Amino acid sequence: MSLIVDVLSGGVRGGTSIMYAGLGETVSERSGVINLGTEGSMLVGALGAYAVGVETGSPWVGVLAGAAAGGLLALLHAYLVVRRGASQFASGLTLLFLALGLTSLFGASYVGQPVVGFDRWDVPLLSDIPFVGPILFQQDPLLYLSYFMVPLVWFVLFKTRIGLLIRTAGERSDSLTVHGYSVQTWRMIAVTVGGCLAGIGGAHLSTAYANAWFENMVAGRGFIAVALVIFAVWSPFRVMGGAYLFGTAIALGPALQARGYEINQFLLDAVPFVLTLVVLTVLGKKTLSSSPAELKRVFENAPPAT
Amino acid sequence: MTAITGDLKLPKERGKAQVWAVKALPVVVRWVGAIGGALLIFSILLMIKGTNPIDAYADMWASTFTRSASIEEIFTRMTPLVLAALAVAVPARAGLTNVGGEGQIIMGGVAACGAYLFLGDAMAPAVLLVAMVAASVVVGALWAGLAAVLRLAAGVNEAISTLLLNFIALDVLLFLIYQPWRESRTGQPATQELTDLAKLPVVAGTAVNVGIVVAVVLVVAVQVLLTRTRWGFRVSVAGGNAEAARRSGLKVAFLVLSALMIGGALAGLAGMIQFSGVEYKLRPSFGHQLGYIAFLACWLARHKPFPILLASFVFAALSVGGDSLQLDSGVPAASIYVLTALILIAVLGFTTPRKKTT
Repeated sequence: MSLIVDVLSGGVRGGTSIMYAGLGETVSERSGVINLGTEGSMLVGALGAYAVGVETGSPWVGVLAGAAAGGLLALLHAYLVVRRGASQFASGLTLLFLALGLTSLFGASYVGQPVVGFDRWDVPLLSDIPFVGPILFQQDPLLYLSYFMVPLVWFVLFKTRIGLLIRTAGERSDSLTVHGYSVQTWRMIAVTVGGCLAGIGGAHLSTAYANAWFENMVAGRGFIAVALVIFAVWSPFRVMGGAYLFGTAIALGPALQARGYEINQFLLDAVPFVLTLVVLTVLGKKTLSSSPAELKRVFENAPPAT
Repeated sequence: MTAITGDLKLPKERGKAQVWAVKALPVVVRWVGAIGGALLIFSILLMIKGTNPIDAYADMWASTFTRSASIEEIFTRMTPLVLAALAVAVPARAGLTNVGGEGQIIMGGVAACGAYLFLGDAMAPAVLLVAMVAASVVVGALWAGLAAVLRLAAGVNEAISTLLLNFIALDVLLFLIYQPWRESRTGQPATQELTDLAKLPVVAGTAVNVGIVVAVVLVVAVQVLLTRTRWGFRVSVAGGNAEAARRSGLKVAFLVLSALMIGGALAGLAGMIQFSGVEYKLRPSFGHQLGYIAFLACWLARHKPFPILLASFVFAALSVGGDSLQLDSGVPAASIYVLTALILIAVLGFTTPRKKTT
């Protein structure tokens, strides 16, 4: 029993940074732009939050800085692909390397520095619920914020005018133009907001999950987030479920090892990617047909419609 | 009549030369401006870190291009980049995006290591190297072929599947070197080092392994394959318009499969050369980022084989320059990625005329 609780609460904790990044990537891809630089936005977000947290002593100011850093990097991606017509894959990877370099250049002096991070804060009453309490409500405040972020992103995307404009940019960009809106502007907004969310994910990693900064600490989580969005068929709530599923797969290895089971961590680490491939295969052409139409054009190397 | 047409032709001829000059000038200005801008921004960042950028550039230049050991290092590092970039270029001709160089390199290295571990003692050295090459080429091709099969059978987009397969390949590598292939249970997670007989020979008189010769030969071979063969023509037709290709009787499925598998084979070979010519053992960081850098090199070269040589040389030189940055200026070596990325952004965004969009 305690093993299951340990694994699930570890999965929720480890999955949160991936969930933030996945939510961001969902917003971005809904507008028709895939951002492989999500990994980079998480990196600069992690360092930004950590550095500002160290300098100001306030983790919340740190999170704001992380979101800003992640958003700025994504804005550059948005500018390159939306305004300059650059290849989305090439631009995203370029920004990943920019983030790797920047965080290596400016992060070296923060390695090993203590930070006032997010401590565990048990939610009164709710944390006493057996089983569910320790998993969901004995965590850190930045993680609780994600419980509100998921419905918020869903609400904005599907119930507001802003969301409608973003989704139209990704589905029928020409009809935005017809109604006098700028496709470019809405895509740039969506991609930048997505980067901010990925930055918060990075911040969770450095100031709540690991409480440390080290080079390349995101270690592929941004790419897991990209896989997750496809796995979740571009839906915020499924992103949440998928993030916990992937987080749990990753948390399972260490928890089993701690109890003396001989298990090779790396088979479990591959689970998110194998699962995504399996889902893509089973759903087959259905996945792509449920993807935003403009995104499909990107995947199929078709020239943009606009 | 002839006199009149002659007169009409003349201004047209003159116009051509003028058009060329008018076209070339902004292009040159753009490139110089773009690269200059990248260097300038990197200088500012170095200054923020308290490093004198002029000294840093001078040291980088001196220790990258004036020492023969560094120049040899550039050629060593550019070899896998060239091959992995070709691995992007061939599928690109068929309209396919191969983001999976990273994983194909790793699987190539794993296959070469596997061949060495299982056949090592039983074979003559020359045969052993051939077996390692064969294993890496076959496994690299199969790893990429997996993405092709998923695309053909289930409609899974190859850009997504090759990307996902990178991480699965990395986990395969880690699984092997942490347990079954680990040299010792106590030491670093790595395989045993290759014996000298299983290491790639060097080009006479240098420290550069023969991989560079293979890479240059394959650049020419790919150029010929893409531009001078029936297969190359068909692939580019299928890449241009799959529906038209299908209706004119081309076997598009076969072309997709073969283009991706040839790409995978090239990247697998890159992994073998990195393993047997450079690293000699599999470590967790084996081939790290080579695939992504090569993807960008190929993109920088606009998917053309000969420019790939140049782009790979530039990226390899930058990475050698990054080591200098660490040794001479005390800035982490990975910082060079900033300059690499800035140059890419400059070229990506600012060397082509602005696109007309809504």
